[in-house]
Amino acid sequence: MGLFGGSKKPKDDWSTMSTVVKAEAKLQALGEITPSRRAGVIYRNDDQNAFQSDLKNELNSVLYVGDGATKTAFDIQDDDRGMRWVVLEDGNFGDLVSSVYTVGNAIGMNDGADNLLAAVFELYFTGTVEDNTYRSGLRTYWIYRYDRKAFYPFVPTGDSEGDRDRPTEARLGQDLRKHGLTIEKSLTEWMGLWGIPF
Amino acid sequence: MTSTTTRKFHKDRGLVSRMYLTMVMLGVLYAVFALFLLAAGMQMIFIGGIVGVMVLVQYFMSDKLILMSTGAKAVTAEQQPELHKMVKLLADRYDMPMPKVAVIDTPIPNAFATGRNPKNALVAVTSGIQQRLNERELQAVIGHELAHVANRDMRVLALANFLVTVTSFLMTMLFWNMLFGGMGGRRNNNGGGIMMVYLVTMIVYFIGQLLVLALTRYREYGADHTGAEISGDPGALADALEKISGTVAGIPDKDLRKLQTANAFLIIPAALKGEGSMNLFSTHPPLQERVKRLRELEQRMRYGLK
Repeated sequence: MGLFGGSKKPKDDWSTMSTVVKAEAKLQALGEITPSRRAGVIYRNDDQNAFQSDLKNELNSVLYVGDGATKTAFDIQDDDRGMRWVVLEDGNFGDLVSSVYTVGNAIGMNDGADNLLAAVFELYFTGTVEDNTYRSGLRTYWIYRYDRKAFYPFVPTGDSEGDRDRPTEARLGQDLRKHGLTIEKSLTEWMGLWGIPF
Repeated sequence: MTSTTTRKFHKDRGLVSRMYLTMVMLGVLYAVFALFLLAAGMQMIFIGGIVGVMVLVQYFMSDKLILMSTGAKAVTAEQQPELHKMVKLLADRYDMPMPKVAVIDTPIPNAFATGRNPKNALVAVTSGIQQRLNERELQAVIGHELAHVANRDMRVLALANFLVTVTSFLMTMLFWNMLFGGMGGRRNNNGGGIMMVYLVTMIVYFIGQLLVLALTRYREYGADHTGAEISGDPGALADALEKISGTVAGIPDKDLRKLQTANAFLIIPAALKGEGSMNLFSTHPPLQERVKRLRELEQRMRYGLK
């Protein structure tokens, strides 16, 4: 409840986030992508926020109660950089995306829109990248930044800052854009998240 | 090819005058800041001494520091005959001795040169840039790097960086001094005075940083220009830059979580982070601008404006 917070209207992220389902299906059909079962939402926890301090119960009712409930399994974890993660697991990619959206939306609707950093999907990539080297089943993350309302790929090669596989990211970025995903246009905004807890 | 003796480069006058103006402004900033510190009763010799040693080490050992800090490995003519041949050809055109040649094994395309003068120069390329560029483009990139050596840019920037290093060092010291109140002792008990010095130091640091960045950009355009004159093919570097940047150069090292915690105090002075080389991309002018200038130069050279 700071001097400048609290009154912002929650944004509609669904129109952008839902495109990830189609893009994933197309790339999977081409043999380039295999989804994992995992995704996550990262946000800066605010102890003063009632919803966030009772997140586990709140998410239980959001994800498990009602007819259309996805019943996606989730776990709450803190990383070593002071951020909190909701890690979600679901074998149905469509349900996984919808649950990720629901979690972010629930946090946002309850005075937490400014705390949301990103939604992160884990997928495996197979293919040749620009420098003519081959990647087979490489773990990649597709990051959706709430402040930019856009996706970009992130392929860490280690846990320290800056360790990332840029050629694969570049290739994946082009392919995802080609298949209808809203990709962050400014490369300098493709910031990494090292040490993702899933 | 054209003659291998020293060529007279035709200079970009606007660029040269902007560059000198920046250097003069830096000099004035230096002097004013030194006077201010003296008036505030700081021990100039102490600070100057420490930073001086730091800068000297960086200046005289830059090639070794770079080899150590980037994982670049010196390669012999037997290991990389084509790369050596290319560097030799270009060094001859610049009329400089053969520099050390090194390769960094990473897919990230980049190249840099370092060394305080042509006799102590080192040029390094990544295996990524070797794979991605064709011969003409790679030659243009190495030509650009050797232009930095020929123009003695490392020396100019070491000098220019001196002030920025002093101020960042001072800021760190003053910050800890204010936190723990040590060092100054009985002589200087008024916190307001220290606060004042801290603020001025901060302002000088930021202005100095801006001037150094401007100077770096001018040297960068200068190296693009010199490299193009040497090769006679400005388009080659433009092609290389476009090819590389279109994909990966812009992807940052930064962690997204830093967006929320940025702008903390500066603890590690930039000079300690092993800078002091001319890297193909960092602190460079916007790529589109460089490419545009190179394309213009290409037109001028093609239609015989000498």
